[in-house]
Amino acid sequence: MGQFFLSSGSLLAQAGEETFDKSGSYNLIHLFGTLALLLVIAFGLMLSAKSGLGERVFKKPVTCCSEQLYLFIENMCLGTIGPHGKKYIPMVMTFWIVIFLGNVLALFMPFAPTANLSFNVAMALIIVSYVQYEGIRANGLAGHFSHFSGPKLAGVMAFFITPMIFIIELISEVMKNVSLSLRLYGNIHGGHAAVEAMNKLGSPIFLPLGEFLLPVKILTCLVQAMIFSILTCVYLSLVTHHGEEEAVHPTGLTPSGQH
Amino acid sequence: MLGIGIGIAGLGCGIGLGFIGNGALQGMARQPEAIGKLQTAMLIALAFVELVFLLSVFVVPFLAGGK
Repeated sequence: MGQFFLSSGSLLAQAGEETFDKSGSYNLIHLFGTLALLLVIAFGLMLSAKSGLGERVFKKPVTCCSEQLYLFIENMCLGTIGPHGKKYIPMVMTFWIVIFLGNVLALFMPFAPTANLSFNVAMALIIVSYVQYEGIRANGLAGHFSHFSGPKLAGVMAFFITPMIFIIELISEVMKNVSLSLRLYGNIHGGHAAVEAMNKLGSPIFLPLGEFLLPVKILTCLVQAMIFSILTCVYLSLVTHHGEEEAVHPTGLTPSGQH
Repeated sequence: MLGIGIGIAGLGCGIGLGFIGNGALQGMARQPEAIGKLQTAMLIALAFVELVFLLSVFVVPFLAGGK
């Protein structure tokens, strides 16, 4: 009976464990299956959230949650990027929903989108390319690349130090990809590995000790989605800051309360 | 040797997270009305420190020996 508890304490997980090989490679069918499930859940949520827009009093819990999510993302974007951050809200919200649902799927399935390194690397590449695209669109090609050369140094120092700063900035762009993808992959797949290890620890006494990690895993779901979105907003703010702006409160009002 | 390396990385991560928690809790104790902002900032700092540990667990063995 111990083998029922060996893999995450559920028969579904055990069936999933037996269908793909132990070397850790994932089937494309599994990946597409979980992506399809993710899209169905997200589409269903959006349908039910939209259908509540016609009522006078929003009583459905799904619309309340969607509004909370929108307010959270809007506050984050406008607070981090500034008042011109409103056009980045759809992108950031899309990534938040995809990452959150992918993490939630990883709670009760041994294979999930965000537990797969390729999916996370793809998302990080999309985000970093989108940030470069927005920078080029806002500053022009030369202006965007002159951001990489750092501060303007005087005299002979500029000849030696500016190429070094340029190379370090390029390396840090590559590191953004690595850190974004590995953070998410390590947290979610590491959660799986930790649950496996604790189940193996408790298998002599037939106790699925891995289930005790579930609260931490739920917290990690939310936190990692938020971290990804906040870092996207921070990278966008670094690239599209527009010189001098007057201090505007994030909801669009000046501090004295007028528009 | 890899186990010792990952253990030392875990030690550093634990000490770092302890410092983050200490600072956050002290700030929350001084100003209870800023608890929301401090919690957000603490979680952001937590992600960065966790990243160093996850790099040492997933990237270093790959670079050091395995394929």
